Amino acid sequence: MNTLRLTWLLLRKDMQVTARSKELVGVTLMFAVLCVLVFSFGFLQSGAAAIRYVPGVLWVTLLFTSSVSLLRLFAPEEEGGTLALVSMTTSGSAPLFWSKVCLQLLFSALVCALIVPLVLLFFDARLSNVGTVVAALGLGLIGQAVVGTLCAALLAQVRLKEVMLPLILYPMLAPLLIAGVKVTALSVTGVESPALSNWLSLMMVFDLIFMVVSPWLYGRATQP
Amino acid sequence: MTQTLSADTRVPIRVPKTLIIWIIISALLVQASLLWIALKTPADVNLGIVQKIFYFHVGSAFAMMLGLTAASVMSLIDLIRPSDSADALARSFLEVGVVFAFCVLTSGPLWARKSWGMYWTWEPRLTLVLLVTLLAVAVLILRMLAKDSTIGRRVGAAMAVMGAPASYLIHFAVKWWGGNHPQVIQGGGIQNSEMRVAFWLAVVAILSSAAVLVATRYRAIRLQQRTQALALRLSARVLRRQRAPMETS
Repeated sequence: MNTLRLTWLLLRKDMQVTARSKELVGVTLMFAVLCVLVFSFGFLQSGAAAIRYVPGVLWVTLLFTSSVSLLRLFAPEEEGGTLALVSMTTSGSAPLFWSKVCLQLLFSALVCALIVPLVLLFFDARLSNVGTVVAALGLGLIGQAVVGTLCAALLAQVRLKEVMLPLILYPMLAPLLIAGVKVTALSVTGVESPALSNWLSLMMVFDLIFMVVSPWLYGRATQP
Repeated sequence: MTQTLSADTRVPIRVPKTLIIWIIISALLVQASLLWIALKTPADVNLGIVQKIFYFHVGSAFAMMLGLTAASVMSLIDLIRPSDSADALARSFLEVGVVFAFCVLTSGPLWARKSWGMYWTWEPRLTLVLLVTLLAVAVLILRMLAKDSTIGRRVGAAMAVMGAPASYLIHFAVKWWGGNHPQVIQGGGIQNSEMRVAFWLAVVAILSSAAVLVATRYRAIRLQQRTQALALRLSARVLRRQRAPMETS
């Protein structure tokens, strides 16, 4: 069975499991909405320009929500004790890794689809160039999914993993967060800047590097 | 592979003479640099006596960078070809790197208060050091949490390897984020010759002390590994002896 097909099968299995239980999707979306709400309480004051907070609230919500879903990403395998069995297949650990990355990506895309309109609505903001923001969100979520899946997979068997995941993940994702916030801020305020392509290429380089490094490290670190 | 039954006897129990001599040399170097900085260097025209933090600050920054880089490299080697010595080196470099990172983060704001008028500013280099320190501390905690297990060791090594490209990208991100800020050292270097001697003396003293710390920590970890291997071998022998009468009957 080739790697691609195995990845798809594993992804389909995970999607079925998630769709059947429904709680995880619901809880994650609920958490994201609450996050936006809490930020509004924290930052908004009457009379102040709300638009300044849009990029920060949006990206930090995505970051926080991703760690909620990442902690549950390997839960079915852990509870069933099937992690070793799946990685024992002939294709090695790559299909398992990429199927989890795709699952996490689907999760964050779902969260994104709910959160972006919500934040724009709550803070009364408008995006000047939608395409750039969509590209930034896409690149950001891919990087987040790849690095996050690796961290979640490796930390699965470590004590205090709920605390350790953000501790490792947040500093590592700092470049994506900074770039994402900058691109969104430029779009919300409608400023045309040559820095835009710089930020997008930084995100692209980040994604490319970790798309190569992460599966290799995953294979190395989980190898029996 | 990682927890071998054969105890590694290449780790000497007696403290090697070279290490003792090296510790003495480092101590003398530190004393010499302290005396030189206190007595010979002039106080800075603008900053006064606070400027003398600079000598230790830059030396600590060098030790931090070297330590954390070496920790990533040794972790990579440990992942490719697992060995107890690579693991011990990676851990000692990481620990010493974190110690000097805290030195940098303590001496930096003290300097900044006098020089820029505030303890902290989101200047690119400061942000970089803070983020890298946080990442290194996280990896250190991770290694401490999963000290004795093979999985924990591999996970710690993998995270240390991840830290290297992440730090490189963080460097770019915070540089563009911070915009143009004044550089701490402008091109041209240190003009005063006494100050230059003090600077290099401090750098050498701190790097030598850092190396001593790495060496002693490495020895301690290796001895720990040896003790663990011996304990494992002993318990295996006891088990075998207990089982032997049962098998014969």
